[in-house]
Amino acid sequence: MSLLPRDPAPAADVSEYFDLDRGLLDREIFSDNGLYRQELRRVFAPSWLFLAHESQFRKPGDFFTTYMGEDPVLVTMGKDRRIRAFLNVCRHRGMRVCRADAGSAKAFTCSYHGWAYDTSGNLVNVPNGDDYPDDFANRDWGLAEVAQLDTYKGLVFATWNPEAPPLAEALGGMTWYMDAMLDRDPEGTEVVGGVHKWVLEGNWKLAAEQFASDWYHVNISHASALMVMSPTGKGPKQEIVQTPGRQYTDANGHGAGFPTHPKSRFDDRIVHRHYDYDQLRERLGKERVEGPMTTGHATVFPNFSYLPVNGSIRVWHPKGPDRMEVWAWTLVDKSMPDEVKNAQRLYNLRTFGPTGIFEQDDGENWSEVQATAHGFVSGGLTLNYQMGLGMETEDGVHPGTTSRLYSDGAARGFYTRWRDLMNTPAWHEKPRAEQRSTQERS
Amino acid sequence: MTAPETEPSAEPSGEYAAEPLAGPSAGAAVSVEDMLLHFEVRQLYTLEANLLDEHRYADWLELLTDDLHYWAPVRTNRLRRQQSLANGGPGEVAIFDETKASLQWRIRRFDSGMAWAEDPPSRTRHLVTNIAVRPDGNDGEYVAESAFLCYRNRLEREVDLYAGGRTDLLRRDERGRLRIARRHILLEQNVLLAKNISTFL
Repeated sequence: MSLLPRDPAPAADVSEYFDLDRGLLDREIFSDNGLYRQELRRVFAPSWLFLAHESQFRKPGDFFTTYMGEDPVLVTMGKDRRIRAFLNVCRHRGMRVCRADAGSAKAFTCSYHGWAYDTSGNLVNVPNGDDYPDDFANRDWGLAEVAQLDTYKGLVFATWNPEAPPLAEALGGMTWYMDAMLDRDPEGTEVVGGVHKWVLEGNWKLAAEQFASDWYHVNISHASALMVMSPTGKGPKQEIVQTPGRQYTDANGHGAGFPTHPKSRFDDRIVHRHYDYDQLRERLGKERVEGPMTTGHATVFPNFSYLPVNGSIRVWHPKGPDRMEVWAWTLVDKSMPDEVKNAQRLYNLRTFGPTGIFEQDDGENWSEVQATAHGFVSGGLTLNYQMGLGMETEDGVHPGTTSRLYSDGAARGFYTRWRDLMNTPAWHEKPRAEQRSTQERS
Repeated sequence: MTAPETEPSAEPSGEYAAEPLAGPSAGAAVSVEDMLLHFEVRQLYTLEANLLDEHRYADWLELLTDDLHYWAPVRTNRLRRQQSLANGGPGEVAIFDETKASLQWRIRRFDSGMAWAEDPPSRTRHLVTNIAVRPDGNDGEYVAESAFLCYRNRLEREVDLYAGGRTDLLRRDERGRLRIARRHILLEQNVLLAKNISTFL
C-alpha cells in the first residue's frame, strides 16, 4: 500500500531558528503549531521510532497499541511469530480497530461495521461482503503496515519511510553506548509488566533534548533527590557534583551523557551487588562500564530515551506543540534473579515515573518552560545552547564525537538533525512534487 | 468470505466483578458497634486527609504501621475477556509500591528545601467518602474501603484531579488506635492526567 498523506502546507525553512555555530535556538520551535505539523511529517514520519520491547510479545496473537508520532499503531505477533506494526485504524471508516492497551487476540474486529483483520494485518472478514463490487478484494484492504520494522537487542523500532536506511545504520555509533544497557547480560533484557503513562504540558523536544544532553540540570533540579540518596543525607560530595564525564553526539541526532567518576553511580544497592564488575569489564570494556553504564542519560533521535542505572526506557509521544505523553517501561536483565529484578523495578518507580523523586521535578520544569513560551515577546526569545561550544572532539576512549559531561553538545547535535530533517522533503512529498511539476508542464 | 477465527465470547467469569463491599450489605441490621467502628474509621481518614492537605507528612507517617505496604498499580484498558489483567499485578510497574521506609525517603525530600515540584507548595483537598468497614477476622484488624477525590491546584491555574478507591487493612496499635497497615489504591485513570503526583492518596 502506498502511504501518501495529502499534500501538506508549504514547509517552513527552519534554518533561522537554530544557529549551530553560535549555539542559539529560537524557542518558537517549542510552541508553533505549523512547525509542529511539519515535525510530524518530516521528523517523525521518516525516522525510525521506538514501538515496544520484544519481551512484550511471547506468543502469537500478543499485541500492544502505541503511537508513532500522533499515528495510532497496533503492534502484533503473527502466527509466524513475526512482530508487525500497522496503523490502528480500520480501512473502512477510520475507526480505531483495537482499543485495548495490550493483550492477546486471534483477530481484531472493528466495532463499527465488523471488518476483521488477522494478527498479520490481513482483512479476513467483511460483513455483507456480497454487496461490494466484484473487484473488491480483501487483499487490497489490509491494515496499513509500516514500511520497515526491525529490532535492536530487544528494542522494536519501525518507520513509515521505505527509503530509511536500515535500523542498524540509523542507530550507527549510538549502539556502542546503548549496549551499556542492552548488552550487560548475555541473555539480553526484558521489560517488567506494565507501562507508566502520563501527560506533560510541554513540547516533546524539551524532554528528548534533556535526556540527550543535560547533565547540567541534575545538581539543581534534582538537588532534593540527590540529598535524599546520598549516604550522608546531606547531598553528594563536591567531587561527585563536579564529576568528570563525557557526552556523546552524532550526526543522526542521538546523544548520551555519563559521569566517569567511579562513585557517581546512583544505582540500587541490590542491583549494584548483583553485578560482577570484573566480568562486565571483560564483556563491555572498562571504558563502557565506567562510562555509559554509570548514572547516564541518553536519547535515540527523535523521541526514545533511557537511563541505564534506573532501567527506565521511554518514549515522548508528541501530542500537539504544547503537550507530550510519556510512556515509560522498566528494563531488567533477563538472567537477573527475581529479587534483583524487583529491586530494579522498585528503584525505578521510586526515582523515575510520575511519582519518582527525580521525575516530579522534571515535570515542573517542562510545564513552566512551556507556559512561558506563549507570550509574544517571551515566545520569541533566543535561548542559550553554548555550553561546551567548540569543545567536541574525539577523546580516544569513547567512540565518535564527545565533549565534556557538562555540555550542550548533544543538544546542538539533536537540533542540527532536527533542522536538517525539517528542511528536507520527506519521501512522501516526492511523488506529489513530481506530480505537480508534471501538471505545471502540461 | 469466511468468518475469522475468533475467541468465543466468554460469559462474565466473575473475575472482574467488584469484590463484595467490606461494609454490611443492604438491608442488614446495623449494630451500635458497627456505627462506632465506622465513626472511628471516618475520624482516622479525616485526620489523614487534613495532615496531607497541610503537608504534615511526618505526622501522616505516624498513622502508618511499620510493616506498611502502600500500593497503587497501573490501570490498563483490556478486552473484556481479559479484564483480570486490567489492574497491574504485584511485581509490575506501579504508581506507588512503597514500604514505610520508602515513604520516609520520599518525604525527606520535601525537607531539603529544594523539592521544586512542591515549592511553592500545591493546594490540595483530599475528600474521602463511601466508607465501608468490617472486621478482618484477626483480632484488632479491619478491612476498610473508601473512595477518594484529591483536588490539586498548583501555581496560577494548574488543576489536577486524582479520583479512585482505596482498600485498607487497619490494625489497632498497642494504645488501641487504628493505624493503616496496608493500602491498595485504584486510581481511575489510564494515562495519568497530571504531570506528577507530588502528594499521597
